[in-house]
Amino acid sequence: MNIALAEALNLSVMFGLRSVLAEVNLRLERGHLALITGANGAGKSTLVHALCGLIGPSAGQVRMFGQDVRRLQAQDRRRVGVMLHRSMLYRNLTPRENLEFYAKLNGCERASEDAARWLERMGLSAVGDQRARELSRGMEQRLAIARALIGEPELILFDEPFASLDPQGTALVVDLLQERLARGAAVLVTSHETVALKDAEMESYRLNSGRLLPAGAEANRRIVWRWMLS
Amino acid sequence: MLAGLRFLLHKDLTLERRGGRVVLELCVLSLLVLVVLAIAYGPEAGGRPASAAGALWVALILSGLPAASLAVAAEHENDCIKGLRLSPLEPSTIYVAKVAGVGLSMAVSEAALLLLLVLFFNLQFDTNLLRLIPILLLGALGLAALSTLLGTTTSRLRAGEMLLALLAAPLYVPELIAGIKASTAVLGGSGLTAVLLPLKILAACDLLFVTCGYLLFEYLAP
Repeated sequence: MNIALAEALNLSVMFGLRSVLAEVNLRLERGHLALITGANGAGKSTLVHALCGLIGPSAGQVRMFGQDVRRLQAQDRRRVGVMLHRSMLYRNLTPRENLEFYAKLNGCERASEDAARWLERMGLSAVGDQRARELSRGMEQRLAIARALIGEPELILFDEPFASLDPQGTALVVDLLQERLARGAAVLVTSHETVALKDAEMESYRLNSGRLLPAGAEANRRIVWRWMLS
Repeated sequence: MLAGLRFLLHKDLTLERRGGRVVLELCVLSLLVLVVLAIAYGPEAGGRPASAAGALWVALILSGLPAASLAVAAEHENDCIKGLRLSPLEPSTIYVAKVAGVGLSMAVSEAALLLLLVLFFNLQFDTNLLRLIPILLLGALGLAALSTLLGTTTSRLRAGEMLLALLAAPLYVPELIAGIKASTAVLGGSGLTAVLLPLKILAACDLLFVTCGYLLFEYLAP
């Protein structure tokens, strides 16, 4: 059995008296993709927040690299790339400066080169020296994805990464995720739509009113290549 | 920790240079407070150390609290604070960098404040003003440490700025009293050795606020 890079064990999250996640069990293993779908308000973002330790569980536990996520050491936090609904970018810095800043925080020794490489990879070289606040929503999304991946993380947690992206952007992100999966990263993606990665070991789940259910083999067969259709 | 501190400070200073409003707000509010108090005291306040010291500290706290709140709130735009919390940085490093940034902005505005004080309260440009510098720097550090710590929680709330003032002002009272006493004595011509007790109180409060922030920031930030 593969070692889980992250796992949720009977994870429950309550906001006041409202249960948002109820006894969620999930394992994220190397080379595996977990796709979590669900309607708006199903708890997808809360699940990502809880997995990366930004929200504490009301019950249960989240373990990352074998440790409690809230006691994760700096060197292990470097191994995680998180993209949330909001971009976590400084709007008055340029895309280049944003990437350099986060690369430095992640301990990248060649932050400038890494930033330039990621700008090019994401098709943002032309706007690399504009302020981030001048970017379109789709460009900001691409930059947010680059920000999450610039430290070459082994564990990737993406909340709605395809939102606001055009078909080329979606294909680009899919390629990036496939590349990471091939290198042995574990990936969790939430989406309100289904999406599939070629040759990836993928497990689909459906989050319904805070309960995580396997989407099932039938659903897996029906998964579409979103970018091919579009 | 030092590398992280340097990256964060550099980022904060770049953001402030590019249209950040912290120093501007500090200077404008300080000017307003000094103008109002100078008018209220009238011409007879000129040269009176107690009036000048009172005005100086009122300006410092009234401009410092909203400015610190603004500086902390800037990290909540686009959830950047979450980006920092998810980075390998220790929460205490984020806190220290934020205090240093806010403290630096306050120090810059204090320089402007001193010039305005001389103008409005008819003080002399002499060594008394130089002796004010360590007192003001200690006061600014305490205010920056306290308001950054409390602002981290209150900036996420709807009436955060008001709540910050309500929470921070009472806790800052010991520093305020010590600062006004020390400033009055120094502007009256006393040396720093004559105000050792207020200076010790300022330093002790600073130590307390910075230590509390260093230890508690992890639990107060999102």
